Amino acid sequence: MRKLIEFRNIVKSFDGQLVLKGVNLNIYENEFVTLLGPSGCGKTTLLRILGGFLEQDEGTVIFDGQCIDKVPPYRREINTVFQRYALFPHLNVYENIAFGLRIKKLGEDIIAQKVNRMLSLVNLEGYGKRNVTKLSGGQQQRVAIARALVNEPNVLLLDEPLGALDLKLRKEMQRELKRIQQEVGITFIYVTHDQEEALTMSDKIVVMNAGEIEQIGTPLEIYNEPANAYVARFIGESNIVNGTMLEDYKVRFDDKNFDCVDFGFKENEPVDVLIRPEDIAIVKPKDGVMRGEVKSVVFKGVHYELMVETRTGTSKTVEMHVVTQHDLYNDQAQEKISANDFYVDLDDLENKDLTDQDFISIANAQAWDEDNRDISLTHVTHNIQKQTGVYSITFGTEKKTEVTVKVYVIHPEYVEDARHNIGISALDFFITADEIMESMAISTDLKTWASAEAWNLQDDSPVDITDVKFDFDPATIQEGTYEITFATQGREYKIETTSAHEAGDRVGLSFGPDDIHVMHKEVTDA
Amino acid sequence: MKSFFRMSYPYILWIAIFIVAPMVMILLYALSRTGNSTLTFQFTLENFTKFFRDATFMRVLFTSLRIAFLTTVFCLLIGYPAALFIANLSERAQTMMVLLLTLPMWINMLLKTYAWRGILLNFDLESEMKVFIGMVYDFLPYMIIQIHTAIAKMDRELLTASYDLGANKWKTFRRVTLPLSVPGIISGITLVFLPAVSSFVIPKLLGGGDYVLIGNLIEIYFLQAGDWNFGSAISLIMALIIIASMWLTRKLDRSEQEA
Repeated sequence: MRKLIEFRNIVKSFDGQLVLKGVNLNIYENEFVTLLGPSGCGKTTLLRILGGFLEQDEGTVIFDGQCIDKVPPYRREINTVFQRYALFPHLNVYENIAFGLRIKKLGEDIIAQKVNRMLSLVNLEGYGKRNVTKLSGGQQQRVAIARALVNEPNVLLLDEPLGALDLKLRKEMQRELKRIQQEVGITFIYVTHDQEEALTMSDKIVVMNAGEIEQIGTPLEIYNEPANAYVARFIGESNIVNGTMLEDYKVRFDDKNFDCVDFGFKENEPVDVLIRPEDIAIVKPKDGVMRGEVKSVVFKGVHYELMVETRTGTSKTVEMHVVTQHDLYNDQAQEKISANDFYVDLDDLENKDLTDQDFISIANAQAWDEDNRDISLTHVTHNIQKQTGVYSITFGTEKKTEVTVKVYVIHPEYVEDARHNIGISALDFFITADEIMESMAISTDLKTWASAEAWNLQDDSPVDITDVKFDFDPATIQEGTYEITFATQGREYKIETTSAHEAGDRVGLSFGPDDIHVMHKEVTDA
Repeated sequence: MKSFFRMSYPYILWIAIFIVAPMVMILLYALSRTGNSTLTFQFTLENFTKFFRDATFMRVLFTSLRIAFLTTVFCLLIGYPAALFIANLSERAQTMMVLLLTLPMWINMLLKTYAWRGILLNFDLESEMKVFIGMVYDFLPYMIIQIHTAIAKMDRELLTASYDLGANKWKTFRRVTLPLSVPGIISGITLVFLPAVSSFVIPKLLGGGDYVLIGNLIEIYFLQAGDWNFGSAISLIMALIIIASMWLTRKLDRSEQEA
């Protein structure tokens, strides 16, 4: 195939923001090329530079062997289908399509012939006299395609042309576009953020990210052998885990060694390991290369999507004391007040500068009058020392309605999971049955009451607590002491399977060496 | 729905008292001679025959139409490029320019016209030229703003599409920008022509005592001669001419869009 377009080191920035960081790309005759990437990756900018609507800061665009940097858009043999169609509202369907031909001053009979041929190519025979603003989205789309193609360009640029259509119509137009491209036999350059669209239509996919090309390849290459975790995540569903390449054909991840088909990495190089959800088979626990528990099952039509946890997260268990709270009644002021005993972490006392407001919320202190209206607490007095022990704290209103509760300053043990680099902490706490019953989101409230938090041991960045385990029914809870376990996310694998399973099942996971794809770690700019 | 309708009663009353009733009064005055009472209505068409038979009146009518037409044409010739220029500025600059354009409109027209009288005193110009300059100055902002609004709300991507299809800047203007700004041109013409044809302050102050347009004629008959019947007849004739010209421009606009 003949090389038609060549981008050489294209650099472009808007307001000091680098949008294209030196892009090199060759496009050949009769190819259906897709520029794929999330919004803001520079794909539309690249297209607009080719169309001549934007000028690059650096680099050269070669078209058919000639530099076209200085050629204005109206003299380029390229036509565009715009994202929002950009049909001329003052012209009907026929005149919209004839626009380019009239500019070229062709004869009326030739124009009629060409326009009618286009109308039938895009299945809009008999629509010539229609008002374009009255057409459906799909029909407007077809007019836009016809209006561009009638000029017989060497290249057709399509800027997210199906973005505004609904799913069914989009699928239909995907087939239609592919058919049109094969029929007219010219190069299509198609911009989209929709990976499925890219896989269905393209001969070649160019995956872009933050102004750079991550990978160029056929849909099959991109899917089966993504260059890095970014591409793998962008195209299709994926499980990506950290691993180490021990030697050629041997990779270690999740504390196990696996055979694989990849080679050419440095010894003990840290890598990303990709296993596609459809490549993992569910087997009996004893037959699997890994074992785990089914956490969730989602029915997807043709298959089920399971999340299987093969390793639990880091966890910490605390005690919850459910107590009866006695509201104190102040006769004179006709006010009621209440508060709970509470635990405080000595570390927080020393490092966090806890205010009266913090104590009010930890103790859940509140006051109200006979009509159940909230009354603000105006004073807080306590004898808390920066030392473990039991202290007392008094909350009061303006009218001297007061309540005193105990404060346990303790030095709790953190759970530190060095292997997975996660620390987690949570405190025992006192609570009333009413408060639990009134909770709208019990897991979230339990986390707050227990001051549960998890963090990365290396950089102290927060880590989500995804699992809150307890074995009481919040609706009918009685006084007593209950255990609550907070845990971070463990290792989960997404698996696509056609056999039915239920959450809680113990299963084995099975995959072979060629189901594993090893990738170099992404090089981050930062 | 019903209660909404009831809420419009005050407005209907307002329209009836201040718009419909005066119109009916003008019609009645125009079709009768002096000395009417509530009991005797003296129907006549002689107010109209008087107007159309007298060459002086016809000349005044013709002059008024001519000067209004010329004012409109000039406002369009100056206003269109100005509107196009403004529409191509940045968002901020556009707001600023529109503000600058509307600023003189906040000042009383009488005041502005007096100012022009002072300026034009230094030049040896014909009365008609002075009136013409005053009118163009006063009505130009209406034209610019109408056209600017039409161009500014146009989708910029349409221009890109036009370039993409091979049209250069001039052809893009001819085939995209101009046709899409026609509604703005039409309303600009209406907003300039109507006040220009019936204006009486500008000709009175800038034209000198002997320069009379139709608006002045109406004023003279109502206020100086006290002949309300003839004054009403002239007003009615003006109103009919205006309605006819509006109907014509609208028809032109529609046939333009269909072509």
